[in-house]
Amino acid sequence: MPEIRVQNLVKQFGEQRALDDVSFAVEEGEFFTLLGPSGCGKSTTLMSIAGFQQPEAGLIAVGDETFFDASRKVAVPAELRNLGIVFQSYAVWPHMTVFDNLAFPLKVRKLKRAAIRSRVLEVLELVEMTPYETRYPHQLSGGQQQRVALARALVYSPSVLLLDEPFSNLDAKLRERARAWVKELQHRLGLTTIFVTHDQDEALSMSDRVAVMSAGEVQQIGTPEDVYRRPANRFVAEFVGRVNLIEGIAARIGGGGSVEVEVAGSPLRLTVSTGHGASGHVTVAVRPEAVTLMPFDDTSVNGINTWDAEVGTVAFLGDHYEYEVNAGHVPLTVQSSRLVPGDRIKVHIPPGACAVVE
Amino acid sequence: MTTTPYEQTFPRPRRSLVPAWALQWATWLVVVTLIVGPFIPLIYASLRDRPLYEPGGVLTTQPYRDLFGDGAFWHAWANTLVFAALTTLIAVIGGALVAILCTRTDLAGRRAFGRLILLPILLPSLGMVLGWIVVWGPGGYLTSMFSDRLHLPTLAIDTIPGMALVEASRLLPIAFLTCQAALSRADSSLEDAARSAGARPLRVLFNITIPMLRPALLNAGTLIFTLSIAALGIPLLLGTSNNIIFVSSYLYNTWTNASTPDPGSVSAGAVMMLAVATLLLLLRNRLLGAEARFVSVGGKSGRQALLRLRRWRWPLAGLLTFYLVFTTLVPVLGLAAMSFVVVLTPLVAPWELLTSAHWHVLWEDDAFRRSIQNSAVIAVVGAVATTAFVALATLVAHRSGFRFRRTLPFLMLYPRATPGIIIGIGFFWAYLLTGAFGDSMRDSIWGIMLAFCVRNLPLAYIVMYPTLARIGEELDRAGRAAGAGWWRTSRTIVLPLLKPAIFASFILLFVEIINDYDPAVFLVKPGTEVMGATMLSQFIQGTVGPVSALAMVQVVITVVVLAIGAKVFKIGVTGGERGA
Repeated sequence: MPEIRVQNLVKQFGEQRALDDVSFAVEEGEFFTLLGPSGCGKSTTLMSIAGFQQPEAGLIAVGDETFFDASRKVAVPAELRNLGIVFQSYAVWPHMTVFDNLAFPLKVRKLKRAAIRSRVLEVLELVEMTPYETRYPHQLSGGQQQRVALARALVYSPSVLLLDEPFSNLDAKLRERARAWVKELQHRLGLTTIFVTHDQDEALSMSDRVAVMSAGEVQQIGTPEDVYRRPANRFVAEFVGRVNLIEGIAARIGGGGSVEVEVAGSPLRLTVSTGHGASGHVTVAVRPEAVTLMPFDDTSVNGINTWDAEVGTVAFLGDHYEYEVNAGHVPLTVQSSRLVPGDRIKVHIPPGACAVVE
Repeated sequence: MTTTPYEQTFPRPRRSLVPAWALQWATWLVVVTLIVGPFIPLIYASLRDRPLYEPGGVLTTQPYRDLFGDGAFWHAWANTLVFAALTTLIAVIGGALVAILCTRTDLAGRRAFGRLILLPILLPSLGMVLGWIVVWGPGGYLTSMFSDRLHLPTLAIDTIPGMALVEASRLLPIAFLTCQAALSRADSSLEDAARSAGARPLRVLFNITIPMLRPALLNAGTLIFTLSIAALGIPLLLGTSNNIIFVSSYLYNTWTNASTPDPGSVSAGAVMMLAVATLLLLLRNRLLGAEARFVSVGGKSGRQALLRLRRWRWPLAGLLTFYLVFTTLVPVLGLAAMSFVVVLTPLVAPWELLTSAHWHVLWEDDAFRRSIQNSAVIAVVGAVATTAFVALATLVAHRSGFRFRRTLPFLMLYPRATPGIIIGIGFFWAYLLTGAFGDSMRDSIWGIMLAFCVRNLPLAYIVMYPTLARIGEELDRAGRAAGAGWWRTSRTIVLPLLKPAIFASFILLFVEIINDYDPAVFLVKPGTEVMGATMLSQFIQGTVGPVSALAMVQVVITVVVLAIGAKVFKIGVTGGERGA
């Protein structure tokens, strides 16, 4: 039932347009992520869905219930939307015990005492917090508070779960465990979830689909693989992971949609296998780990997209080496699992790893 | 296999019976009625050729022409402005110095001084003026001792500079609090950076610390200037005998001595004072906005390197002690002594003149006894009611989607800028015009209570707002998301978290209301007397002993209640004034 539809949201903060025609749909049971830098409108979108902010235009619906429709002046108050939400600060009420925090939404729903008790204990068990029932929030660690916040959002079986940067206050180790745990729980319960984050690792590792946002607009919606491998534009390429951007002129259309690009300011040519008939001035995105490095005298790979390069700096980063190389005035960052000797080397860019972003 | 807990469904939350918007509208309307309401009849009264209670009458600017044609009125303005400027100068410089000494140096006993320096603003203001008069006034105890016996020059507190000194000693804590807040909030690494660049501590003080205080000084200065223009007790009790008239005492005298009661020119003068106070408040709002650019981000207080005073450590502490003894302890002791002797004179040892007669008056004389009873009832009921209402209005102002919420902070701070005597005149006219309701208010203590509550309501907001701002908004959003409406969320989540500020507000309001007097001077009648108004009228008639005893009652209640408040609720007075 809970398919979330967000259509043409517009929200203005004074002169600034916080949301500019934002639309997307979330399938039942899907883990959908809004990813973007701060100020991109992702939290405004989430708060509009939750009912804490009112857009000037657009429509928000969950299942067959319309929560917000500017054209018909419908705006269901936040408390009647029946959504579960976990805030960045967790917002666990400090003057109530863990039990009372979880019992509150059920009291509001006028459940009997016994029913409240059994349900709270059931959900506490689900989040593995049973022993902490009588504790106050200040007696809990950050990770435990987060579990309480999640339990409180789940206790009344909301139709949709909204997560607003819930991991940003945890330290790095705990964050990874919490991510895996939340993802597992979401999957097990089949919860339709909208997740807001500025952390691309989090977005890629947890989501079924990701919407990348910038300046109040949705830039691209796709699976994590899509947005990483086939970024729709320069912003997505740069924001999701690191990227080399190579500028040039699309010169010749090859077979199977491939395009040959004359690299600007250099005699090099770059073949892109999925150019989609690009023409004129183009920017090509190449991920650092997609580039392969070979010794200068290696002849095993030949021909297309294999360039001579001078090594600038090499940094050892534990599980890989990071090269800054210069291939005929084209600076490239390359991530290599092995050390390639010599000041002059060869680089190879697989045509399939190139994406035209402009 | 057991079902996953998620398959269970629950009833959906329902709409609450009383919609939030109804409550929010009601709150807003009450605020507007109480704060703007009394000024409408005041302005109306200033534009009529006869008092409002007389039938007929036409709109006219005659009251303004009468007023502006009176040279004494302009003379009173000149006196008032000189007085206010001098008061501001003394209080701001003094407050800033004490704040720097207490927060940035290793002054001996700096923490204790930081608390004691606040006493003058909390002690009953009228009582303290009486204390000053008993000790330092013309014919006062120490005045006669020094000038008549020792032939030394003394402080003439019945001159404008003298009155400014008395008023400044009361208002200095405002400058102190503002500067202290600014200093403890400022990032000490700014000062550390100057030290690293090679500046000596004293140079850092003058080139970094004091310039950073500039917005705080301007802000405190504007507030002190506004408050001192409104002073009534000082010009009435100290200035009148010396024929120094201020605007407030001009209005008071015109009202009480007029051949036709309640002349329109008094309302015209009140409107003019109100306009000046409003302009000053608007100016202050702009200054507060400009202050943001001096706020340094990410300050960690508490680990600042203190400026070492070395051999000045103790002498400066001595100087500060002398100041406190001189301005606070001596007037209070003077009052206490006065209340126990027949006459306070250096010619006869006080113990030979001991009497308890003044204290007997407090319960034997009806007016005195009723004053104490009425003040106690008004203070308790008024403090409870105002605190509860302001808590609600503060929630509407800062935690609701109410359409006009942004007007509430300005409205709630407005009475702070309004002279008490003008609030009194405003309510006087408002009660006259509201028929049976107004009559019942005028004939009971509740009319005076309402005026006192409105006058002191800004303090409740100033205490509660900073605490509310620290309660994360996500806490109430979580309540809304859980299915609770605005009022239920406010009641079960926000208000419980606001409890410390609510208690602090109650204590502060109780003390302020029990000591308040100027809004009541035109409202009291036999039967509805309150302590401050009784003290003022009796002292003017020359009843010194029992008035001193009554003032001591105020002082003792104030100190006891504040001590209980500090102990039980752990209320620390912080830079709350800043929010004003």
